[in-house]
Amino acid sequence: MTPTPQPRPGEPTGQPGHSSGPYAVRLRGLTKTFGTTRGIAGVSLDVPTGGVFGFLGPNGAGKSTTIRLILGLYRPTAGTATVLGLDPWRDGAVLRRRMGYLPGELSLFPRLTGQETLDRFSAARGLSDLRYRTELVDRFGAEVDRPVHTLSKGNRQKLGLVLAFMDQPELVVLDEPTSGLDPLVQDEFASLLHETVATGATVFLSSHDLDEVQRVVGELAIIRDGSIVAVDTVQGLRGRSPRRIELWFPGPAPRMAFASLDGVEVLSVADNTMMLSVAGAVAPVLAAAADQDAVDITARSADLDELFRTFYRSQHRSEAPDAH
Amino acid sequence: MRTDITRLDLRLRRRGIWGFTLGLAGYTLVIVALYPSFKNQTSLDALTANGNTLGALLGASGSLTSPVGWVNANLYANFLPLFVLVITIGYGADAIAGQDEANTLSLVAALPLSRRDLVSQKMTALLLMALPATTATVACVFAGRAFQLPLGIWPVLSTTLGVLLLGAAFGLLALAVGAATGSRGTAIAVAGSAATGSYILSALAPAVNWVHPLRFASLFYYSVGNHQLDHGLCWAAATVLCGTCAALAVVCVAAFARLDLH
Repeated sequence: MTPTPQPRPGEPTGQPGHSSGPYAVRLRGLTKTFGTTRGIAGVSLDVPTGGVFGFLGPNGAGKSTTIRLILGLYRPTAGTATVLGLDPWRDGAVLRRRMGYLPGELSLFPRLTGQETLDRFSAARGLSDLRYRTELVDRFGAEVDRPVHTLSKGNRQKLGLVLAFMDQPELVVLDEPTSGLDPLVQDEFASLLHETVATGATVFLSSHDLDEVQRVVGELAIIRDGSIVAVDTVQGLRGRSPRRIELWFPGPAPRMAFASLDGVEVLSVADNTMMLSVAGAVAPVLAAAADQDAVDITARSADLDELFRTFYRSQHRSEAPDAH
Repeated sequence: MRTDITRLDLRLRRRGIWGFTLGLAGYTLVIVALYPSFKNQTSLDALTANGNTLGALLGASGSLTSPVGWVNANLYANFLPLFVLVITIGYGADAIAGQDEANTLSLVAALPLSRRDLVSQKMTALLLMALPATTATVACVFAGRAFQLPLGIWPVLSTTLGVLLLGAAFGLLALAVGAATGSRGTAIAVAGSAATGSYILSALAPAVNWVHPLRFASLFYYSVGNHQLDHGLCWAAATVLCGTCAALAVVCVAAFARLDLH
């Protein structure tokens, strides 16, 4: 499966000031193995320039492996990665000057204070204008005067976010960025993402948490067992997500009248109520409900959580909706 | 050439550097201050007489009560190289493999540096890591002139340089193994074992006949095992030590260029 999405109307396409072409990241058949252990296999992906691209998958699916290949920290076993027009393995030093990175398992040097950490990494990046960095520290309320080993996970994560964004890079790669952050800081983070992409920069955001992703990303990819299984927008995925419909009947709920309908799954039956998951058109369900003299009905909007769980369940691979 | 990573790593090990410096300086001062109490105790020389194996294992050779013999047996033949090796092998194993295992290397590796630049800065830090401790040691050895230990300036300075190169070589070996395997434990084990074997070869060479020809395979022999405190470090020995360091540096660069970083 090699999803290579084409630009869609309304998608971000980059702004003046950033010149990496229509795609910030292009992966083609990217494969990484560790001896006999699977990393990722044949990952192909286009990440449009100038938006927030979500990269979802369960733990161990291959998200961090893909990210390390994008950063040039891993050498690909096969396939190619082109990031901001460059090869991350061969041109890593030049490329990383244009990138910011927040690792999934952020480990800062415990004896340094936050300020020392920021200063040393700023110097190593050749960052001389520190105004934006100071602004980020203030926005996140990052603790910079204490040694890192005395900070909470959330406060260390704030420092990691400042390190990733302080250079105003063209591409920011974030691996589980809101881990440990409180809701207020998460809101601030979401605002920062919007401001960042408004300048034409691209954010590649990896997560296993749908809630984290769906409120900030435009397009997203889902990886499972080292392979991409879907690439779509949040709206697109929502459009093909199953709805929940609950029906009430005057007598015992007639399971068989609904179980045979296409795209319908009977989730539960209790006395005179029945819960359905409906993936297709609702007309046959309504017709059947009328035939069975249903007395009431409630319908919930598309259940994205359920769709993601379907994608995540490797044992039901064949039941997953088609990727593209 | 940028030095940000060199300075970062030196900062991270600042306490250890100061600790080793103070420890070695204190030990050296005690050794030189004790010399007047032992200089006339010729019975000590029995420890090294007639190829005594125990004395050889402790690194002692020649007269223990001469100024050179005293300083060599108590400092240059064993403790100074041991301290320097602990510093350099410890850092060499930690600089790449240890930091990678601790996940602190990922942010550093994500900086706009090539692999070659990054490992070069770490090798520079390794070369500098033991400098304060050895400098303090030399100062304390020269302070021994006040305690009837008038050692020559050139032999002391050049032998100390030899110890630094010895430490650098095994530290680079640890760095190279760490860069090749990503395992701090393996790096310490390999470099530590190599250093131990090297020490035993050099120390036993004067006392055990069949080991004698093998001394040329020991870096200790080129550093402190060939009467360097009497005559100074010869150019041939310095060339061997420098050449070994250079070769290991090339291996470090090549190994790190292929390592997957976490």
